[in-house]
Amino acid sequence: MPHTTAFARNQWYVAAYSHEVGRELLGRTILGEPLVFYRTQDEGTPVALHDRCVHRRFPLSESGLDGDRIVCGYHGFTYDTTGACVYVPGQKRIPRTARVASYPVVEQDSLIWVWIGDAALADHDTIPRAKHLDSPGWTTVRGMEPIDADYGLLVDNLLDLSHETYLHGGYIGTPEVAETPITTEVDEGAGIVRVSRHMDDAECPPFYAKSTGIKGRITRWQDIEYHAPCLYLLHSRIAPVGVLPEADGSDPNGFHTEITYAITPSTDGKVYDFWMVSRDWATDDAEVTEFLRGNNHTVVMQDVDALNLLQKTLGSERSGYQELSINIDTGGLAARRILARLVEEGDKPVEKVL
Amino acid sequence: MSSPTGEVYRIDWLPGTDVLHGTCHCGREHTSQDPIEMWEWMLAHPNGHSQQGSEPQGNTS
Repeated sequence: MPHTTAFARNQWYVAAYSHEVGRELLGRTILGEPLVFYRTQDEGTPVALHDRCVHRRFPLSESGLDGDRIVCGYHGFTYDTTGACVYVPGQKRIPRTARVASYPVVEQDSLIWVWIGDAALADHDTIPRAKHLDSPGWTTVRGMEPIDADYGLLVDNLLDLSHETYLHGGYIGTPEVAETPITTEVDEGAGIVRVSRHMDDAECPPFYAKSTGIKGRITRWQDIEYHAPCLYLLHSRIAPVGVLPEADGSDPNGFHTEITYAITPSTDGKVYDFWMVSRDWATDDAEVTEFLRGNNHTVVMQDVDALNLLQKTLGSERSGYQELSINIDTGGLAARRILARLVEEGDKPVEKVL
Repeated sequence: MSSPTGEVYRIDWLPGTDVLHGTCHCGREHTSQDPIEMWEWMLAHPNGHSQQGSEPQGNTS
């Protein structure tokens, strides 16, 4: 049996980066639903429709655009931005059922968010923000890796950074990460898990030593904010040992890096891993940018390989296998529980959710 | 997501020990060396919040 975490419907998910959605059709499968994305010609508004022609289920993402309409590449069924079929070949009557579902879409912070669930419940004000991705004073490198693993495994991975010491040793991991106690907070109503690890006197990972120029040991803070189910923010601050923010809250001598992940379940046992690293230092230094891009990609691929392997391994286990959780898992356990609650809420009939 | 309710659970791993120190949103506290047991205690609120191993503090609800 493949290891799977149930999907939480009636939630916003990152479907793509803004730059990925344009006048070429983009196919993505999210929570098991095949979707096609594109932008309108004049306004540039992102559109998300179900990615299967009503006629013979041909993928619309493998078709073409005529203005703002998708023309199915198989027999020419043509759909407008609302998903209504406006043309079928060879006849005037368009069957009433000739329509593909359209999905609420919001473009925010350089991300394309899509609502999976009952469209009547979609409220774009509930989308968590990641303003650093699209703000002056910040430079971001980013990528996306599909992983053949249950999205719950990626949540587990990101909520417990002690794995950095072992899986990412020599890159972002140093001994202090696994050795330093964490503080975990859960904001139940908001669906947010916070995990903080503040290291007062830590080795500077080669990754940061090279890119910031800091010599010697550092103060290293890692403050995670997981907005279940999709958005993960890691606020990272490093500074030479003993250098703290000023009394007024400003922090001119700290190096701030915002590590953002969007964890978007695709199908059972598959997840899109959107990763972004934003910094407020050396923002114009192309060499630092390329260095961070390369190193972060390496780190992400270490996770990808590990999770692919873990998924395969769990899939070969007999049912009812045991896990063992220890203190480092306090945040991950909290995230699992919140996800379970969101899954349950998303499965309820609409009238009960309201 | 829904809006914040102000119900915040907090678990501190006490430095230099293996002990977790939990504070429920109601203010009750509990110590444990097992995160699963800790979450069970936390989420059972208010059940078990006055049993041995937990230290009443703040408001009960």
